[in-house]
Amino acid sequence: MRVFIRPCVWLLALLFCASFMSVFEALFGWFQPGQTSLIYQRAGFLSLLQNHVLLVLISGSIGTAMAVSAGILVTRGWGRDFLPLASQVASIGQTFPPVAVLALAVPVLGFGEAPTLMALVLYGLLPILRNTLVGLDGIAPAVKEAASGMGMSPTQVLLKVELPLAGRVILAGVRTSVTINIATAAIGSTIGARTLGDPVIAGLVNGNTGYVLQGALLIGLLAITTDSLFEALQRTWSQRLLAAAVAG
Amino acid sequence: MLAPASDMPNRVVPVLASLALVLIWWLDFGIVQPNRIVPGTGYGLVEAIGAANSAGLSAGLLALMVMARHRFRARFYGLGALVALLLMWQPILLAEFADRQLPADAAYARTAIGAGFWSLLFLLGLMAIEVLSQLPSPRGHHLILVALVLVVWGVCVAAGRLDSLSLVTEYASRPDQFRQALTHHLALSLSAVLCSLVIAIALAIMMMRRDRWRQPVLATVSFLQTIPSLALFGLLIAPLSALSTAFPFLQTLGIRGIGWAPALLALVAYSLLPIVRNTYVALSEVPDDLVDAGRGMGMSERQLFLKLKLPLAMPIIIEGVRVTTIQAMGLTAVAALIGAGGFGTFIFQGLGQAAMDLVLLGALPTIALALAADGVLTALGQVCRPAGLKANG
Repeated sequence: MRVFIRPCVWLLALLFCASFMSVFEALFGWFQPGQTSLIYQRAGFLSLLQNHVLLVLISGSIGTAMAVSAGILVTRGWGRDFLPLASQVASIGQTFPPVAVLALAVPVLGFGEAPTLMALVLYGLLPILRNTLVGLDGIAPAVKEAASGMGMSPTQVLLKVELPLAGRVILAGVRTSVTINIATAAIGSTIGARTLGDPVIAGLVNGNTGYVLQGALLIGLLAITTDSLFEALQRTWSQRLLAAAVAG
Repeated sequence: MLAPASDMPNRVVPVLASLALVLIWWLDFGIVQPNRIVPGTGYGLVEAIGAANSAGLSAGLLALMVMARHRFRARFYGLGALVALLLMWQPILLAEFADRQLPADAAYARTAIGAGFWSLLFLLGLMAIEVLSQLPSPRGHHLILVALVLVVWGVCVAAGRLDSLSLVTEYASRPDQFRQALTHHLALSLSAVLCSLVIAIALAIMMMRRDRWRQPVLATVSFLQTIPSLALFGLLIAPLSALSTAFPFLQTLGIRGIGWAPALLALVAYSLLPIVRNTYVALSEVPDDLVDAGRGMGMSERQLFLKLKLPLAMPIIIEGVRVTTIQAMGLTAVAALIGAGGFGTFIFQGLGQAAMDLVLLGALPTIALALAADGVLTALGQVCRPAGLKANG
């Protein structure tokens, strides 16, 4: 469990900064001498953080569920006809800039959390779908044949052989997707979602560099915490696979 | 990837075409707005383009379904041609809609594209991708199809047939701003890519020479990549404004806390990872026997690098540049938030005024630029494959 120490340290730093930003008031006062409002007050940093994390978690869960099931569907039976289209869409879709997807969600759903969530789900799908396809397609046919030769049903082959083997690649896709979504959710505050982007946008509009820094600091810490968590998860996944291989 | 045999009946095109058929009859095809802000009234298919056109459009989609089920040799060429024709017909249908439903006396009235039309465009696009991926050499056909469709849309716009379309109206009221946004967007993203290309190649060569540089350099550039764009732009404002206050001559160069300077710095930082990683991997994976053969022929180290290693690594380096350029095109749009100009200006202005057409005027060109960069650099990567590699596949 030592791999989880680093994400825990970052998490503590993030929670500390979100709870006690006013500790740094003197610092923000020092480089903004004339400024009267030093710390962003319109909403608590903790509630913004919570909202931000919720948006990313919900969109990540929906996106992962959709992408993995789509990936499973197009790699077997009837769905196999859709495999070339799915992999093309996953790669062409990723050339679309996330901001543009975010902006295009507004005419469809208006302002607020809903369009942000839709954009995050749609855009976050693509890296996961791509990696699911790569992971499932990259398993040697001999492995699957051996598994069904041992008497496993197709569902068992999928659950006990294919998904664990493809899991690391899929997890890497989820990591990419979550990294992009944390950044996109921050920009979501321009379309009315309450996220850690709010202080940055408010600071840019009012010319208050302190607000910008506070928001940017928290967004950065959130991204680093999440990324180091995924790093730890990927390591434990590989260790488990290795342990299973040695044991079996 | 396992492609389905091309003599099997295709199931993808019928599914997409029937979905398109349902959606065009169900959703609004076009919208007429009395002015820029007021939401307009939607028109269904027959109201929008008349019974004859509606029947023709449906017949076209039905023909796609039937043709995809038959197994004659050239059917994918036929399908491709039909999809292209349908795509080229769309601007003409939009013009027809404007002629029918736009009130002649309302000066500010404009037409907008409805959900049904968007769905049709999207599904036709998916069908085009599917059909092209079934053709033997997709690249060439790809270009022909895109060019034909763009030419017809371009001619319709140039001839003034789509003047009432909201997107065209938004453009017509600010052609100079649009040109300026295009220049800024291209200048900012391309100069960031060029700067990071130079830095990244230097870093990669350094990593090749001294192995102990490898870990810290890769860790740093991938760390930079995880920082969200808004945060990085924000974090650069304070140090740059402090710098320009301390050294006033920087202000005359336009280096301030907001504007192009922090944007360029952040974009360069983001662009490093794909190029550094690809350049390093490509250069270090040049096979040793080739390098030995080059040495045996009496090549100097410099010649080995310029004539052997670099050409062999080129396709993978260009792939890194492709990923970076696409990313930079998108991030430049975000940089508009810190006053760096570009198409993001229209997006955020439009969001601020709740003017969706202005948002589209910013978002669609941003997507187009990213897709164009993707196309150009993919083609360049193929051209740059050394002759020896082409023979190997």
